[in-house]
Amino acid sequence: MSPNDNTRNSTDEMIEAAKAAEGVGGIGGSPSDSKLGRAAAYWEFLGTCTQCGHCTKACPSLTAADMTLGDVAKAMLAAEREAGDREDLAYAIAANPRLVQAVRGCFFCTTCKNTCFAHNDVCDLVYNARVDFQDLGLIPRFAWTSVQVDQEWDIFTAYRAIYGIYLGDLTRHVATDDHGAESDCEVAFFPGCSLAAYAPDLTREIFDTVQELGGKTTMIDHCCGSPLKSAGFFERAEALCDRIAEEVDSSGAKTMVCVCPGCANAMRSTLAKHGLDVQVKLLPGYLSEHGFAPKRPLPEAPLCVSKSCQDRDGSYLEETCEALGIDADAPKIFHGCCGAGGAVGAFDPNRQASQADSKLSFADDGSVVVTMCPTCTYTYASQLMAVPRDISNKHYAELMFENQFDWPKVFAQLQGMYEGEYGPWLNQVFA
Amino acid sequence: MTNDTNGGSRIPSTEAAPVAIIGFGTAGVNAAIALRQAGYRGAIDVFSDLDTPPYSPILTSYYAGGMRPYDECFPWTEEEMGALSLNVHNGTPATGLDVQAHVVRTSQGDFPYSKCVIATGSSPSTVGFPADCGYEPLALHSMADAERMRAALEDPACRSVLVSGASMVALKMVEACLAQGKQVTLVGMNPHVLDFNALPAAAERFEARMREKGVRFRLGQTISAVSVQDAPGHPDGRLLKVGFSSGDVEDFDQIAVAHGMRGNLAFLTSGELDVDKGLLVDEFMRTSDPDVYAAGDVAQAFELTSGERRIVGIWKNAAVQGACAGRAIACELAGGTPEDSDAFHGSISSNTIAVDGTLFLSAGTIDPGPGGEIEVREGDEMTVVYVYRPTDDGEGRQLVGFNITSDTDVEGGVAYDTGAMLTLRIKEGLEGR
Repeated sequence: MSPNDNTRNSTDEMIEAAKAAEGVGGIGGSPSDSKLGRAAAYWEFLGTCTQCGHCTKACPSLTAADMTLGDVAKAMLAAEREAGDREDLAYAIAANPRLVQAVRGCFFCTTCKNTCFAHNDVCDLVYNARVDFQDLGLIPRFAWTSVQVDQEWDIFTAYRAIYGIYLGDLTRHVATDDHGAESDCEVAFFPGCSLAAYAPDLTREIFDTVQELGGKTTMIDHCCGSPLKSAGFFERAEALCDRIAEEVDSSGAKTMVCVCPGCANAMRSTLAKHGLDVQVKLLPGYLSEHGFAPKRPLPEAPLCVSKSCQDRDGSYLEETCEALGIDADAPKIFHGCCGAGGAVGAFDPNRQASQADSKLSFADDGSVVVTMCPTCTYTYASQLMAVPRDISNKHYAELMFENQFDWPKVFAQLQGMYEGEYGPWLNQVFA
Repeated sequence: MTNDTNGGSRIPSTEAAPVAIIGFGTAGVNAAIALRQAGYRGAIDVFSDLDTPPYSPILTSYYAGGMRPYDECFPWTEEEMGALSLNVHNGTPATGLDVQAHVVRTSQGDFPYSKCVIATGSSPSTVGFPADCGYEPLALHSMADAERMRAALEDPACRSVLVSGASMVALKMVEACLAQGKQVTLVGMNPHVLDFNALPAAAERFEARMREKGVRFRLGQTISAVSVQDAPGHPDGRLLKVGFSSGDVEDFDQIAVAHGMRGNLAFLTSGELDVDKGLLVDEFMRTSDPDVYAAGDVAQAFELTSGERRIVGIWKNAAVQGACAGRAIACELAGGTPEDSDAFHGSISSNTIAVDGTLFLSAGTIDPGPGGEIEVREGDEMTVVYVYRPTDDGEGRQLVGFNITSDTDVEGGVAYDTGAMLTLRIKEGLEGR
C-alpha cells in the first residue's frame, strides 16, 4: 500500500470520525472562543468574492461540488452560525458532502485563482478550511498518518530505512557518527522528500555538482511541509519550516538550492520570515548561473514540459528551459496539477488518477513529459504504469545528470515494504 | 439608532460615536467586515442610497443579458450581513459631511461619527450624450440600471441597440445585447475598443472576433445628435435617429451609454478634504482628515505602475482598501497605531472581460514610457502583448503591463494561466522596486 492507496471516506465515516474526535477532545485542536478557529479567513474571502462562478467552471472538484469558492466560505460560516457547539458543527460540515468535496478535493493548483476576476487566494481559504476540518476531526486518520513529515517516521523515512538509503554523510551541518556539525557551508541543498527517497544516486550526483560549482555544501534532509498543510496541520508545517530555517542558519550557507518549485517557494517564504540573508534558487537557475552543461544530450523525442502549479509566475519554467538549452517557447507546455497536490488521493484516489491521466493526455505520442517537481514525476510514473501511453516521463534533473529514477524498482519496493518483514511495523506505525 | 445632533453646531464625543460607512458596496462591506474581525464592537452606521442589499456590479451585465437571475447578483446574504450587526440606513444617501462636527448629514437627519469611511463608489457618466434629446440612454452599473436595461432588451420591439463607448462596461453592454439576440453597433471616439487598457494588436483581435459575432463598429466616431421620432410602423411606435460625427445617420431602438465613471463625491463640500481626481489617501486609506477614510472608486491611493496615487476602480481594489480602512479604524479606536503589515501597499490595474466567448485580460499599463518596448506575440488562439520599461539601473527591462486577447474563454485555460503569471511578474517586479 502506498500513501495514496486509500479508499474514499463516506459521510458516515466522517461523522464517526468527528464523533471519535469529540470523544477525545479533538485531534490537534486547540481551545478557541470561536467554534471555527479560522472564521476570520472565511470572512475575508467572503468579502472579496463576487460570486461570479468562474472558479467553479475552472475546477472539476468545485464543479462536482456545485460550489464557488465564496460558497465554501459561506458554508463554513453558515455551519458555525447554526451549530450549538463544536460537535454540532462537525456533524453539520460532515453531513454537507458538497462542502467536503470542495475542501478536500482541492489540489491547490490555483487554476481557480488564475481564473478569478479578483485573483482571490484560494490556497489560503482551503488551507484554513483544512485546518478547521482537522481540528474538528473531519479528516480520517488514515488520510495522513503516513505523511506526517515532521515525525521520525513517515513514508519517505521508512522507505529509506527499510532499503538502506543513507544520506547522513551529506548533512554536514548535523552531527552524526561520521562527522561533527559544520557551520562553514556555502550552500544548503534541498532535494525534497521524493528525490532523496526514490533517487538517492541522483541526489548524490546533484549534491556533488552543486558542491563543485558553489563550494562546501550540506544537505537539508527534510520535507518542506506541504503534506502537513494538505492534511490541515498548518502550524506543524510552519514549525517544520522553522526548524529548517534554524538548520540553514546553523550551516552558515548563504545560498539554498532547491530541486522542486514548491520547496523553493516554501523555503523562500520561511527564510524571509526568519530574516535570513540566504538566497533561494531553483536548481536549474543555479546550474545555469555557474555555467553547468548537462551531462547528457537531450532526448531526440519532442519535449512536453509540465509547468509546476507552484511556478506561479513561470520563471522556474524559463530557468529550467534555459538550463536544458531549449527555447522556452519551443516545447509544448501544459499547466495544472499532476494529481498529487493537496493530498486529494487520500480523499478520492480516482480523482488523482483521472487528473494525472488528463494532464498526460496533453503530451503527443512519442514525446517526453518533463516535470519540475519530483512528486509530479512520481505521480505520472505511477499513472503510466497503471495506464501505459506512448510517452516517457522524466524529471528535468534526469535530462541533465547521469543517474535516473528507476520507477519499476521504486514501485515494487513501495509495495514490498508493506508485505515484507517490516510490514507489521509499518502497519503499527502508520495505523 | 439615535439622531441627536442639532444643526451641526455640537461636536460630539467622537470616541462614543459610531463608525460611519457612507456607501454600501464592496468597499463599505469590507470595511464593516474588517472592523468586526479586528475586534471593534461599537456601533456602525451604514448609509446607502439603495434600498437593496449590496450587489455585485460585475454581475449586472449578466442580469441585463438574461444570463443570471436577479437574486444571484447579491454576493452577501441577509444572515451574513446580520452577523455584522450594522445599522444600515437604506435609501439614505449622505447629503453632506461635516468633518469639524464629525457629522454625516442625510435627508433623515444628522448622524455623529467617531471615524468615517467614504465608500460611495462611482456612477456611469453620460457626458457627451445629447442631454436634451428627450431620450434617457441605458446605463449599466447599479441593479436599477441593469433592470432597466434588461427590460429594454427583453422588449420584442427592441431589435437594434447602439452602444456608445469602448470601455469594458461598454463591451459588457454589447455582451448583454448579444445574449438577448439584438443587433449591436458600437460607437467609440478612439480607433479601437478597450482604449485605456488595450494596445492595437490585442484590441484588433478582439474587434475581429466581435465582428464575427455580428457586432458592427463605428470607431473613431462620436454621437453628434439624437432625435426621438415617431415611427407608426415600428413595434414601439418610435425610433431613435442618431447622427454621427462622420455625417452618417442611422436608426436604433435603444442606446446604451458608457462614457466612463465618476466618483460619487458631490455630497462633499469643496475644500473640506484634499481631492484630486478622487480623495487623496495614505497607506491606511486616511484622507487629509485623520478621522475620515476613503476606499474604492472614490479613493486615489498608491498605484504601483505609475508610482503615483491613482484611482484603480476595480472590485478587488475596493475590497482590499475597504478592509484596510476598517482594520486601521479598529486599531485607532482601540488606542493603537496601525501596523505596516495592515497597510495598503498599492495595486495595479487588472482587468478581465469575456464577451460572448472572447476573452481579454490585462494588467498594469499600456504605456512603455521612454526607452520602453512593446512586444507582440500572435498565436493561433491568442495574442499576447507585453509592455516593458527599462529597469532602474538601465541594464535590463521590466514587465509593466500586458494584454491578452484569446479567441476562446475557457475557465482554467492557458489564457487565464498566462494572465495570472504575467500579473504576478508585474507585481513582483514593481514591489521589488
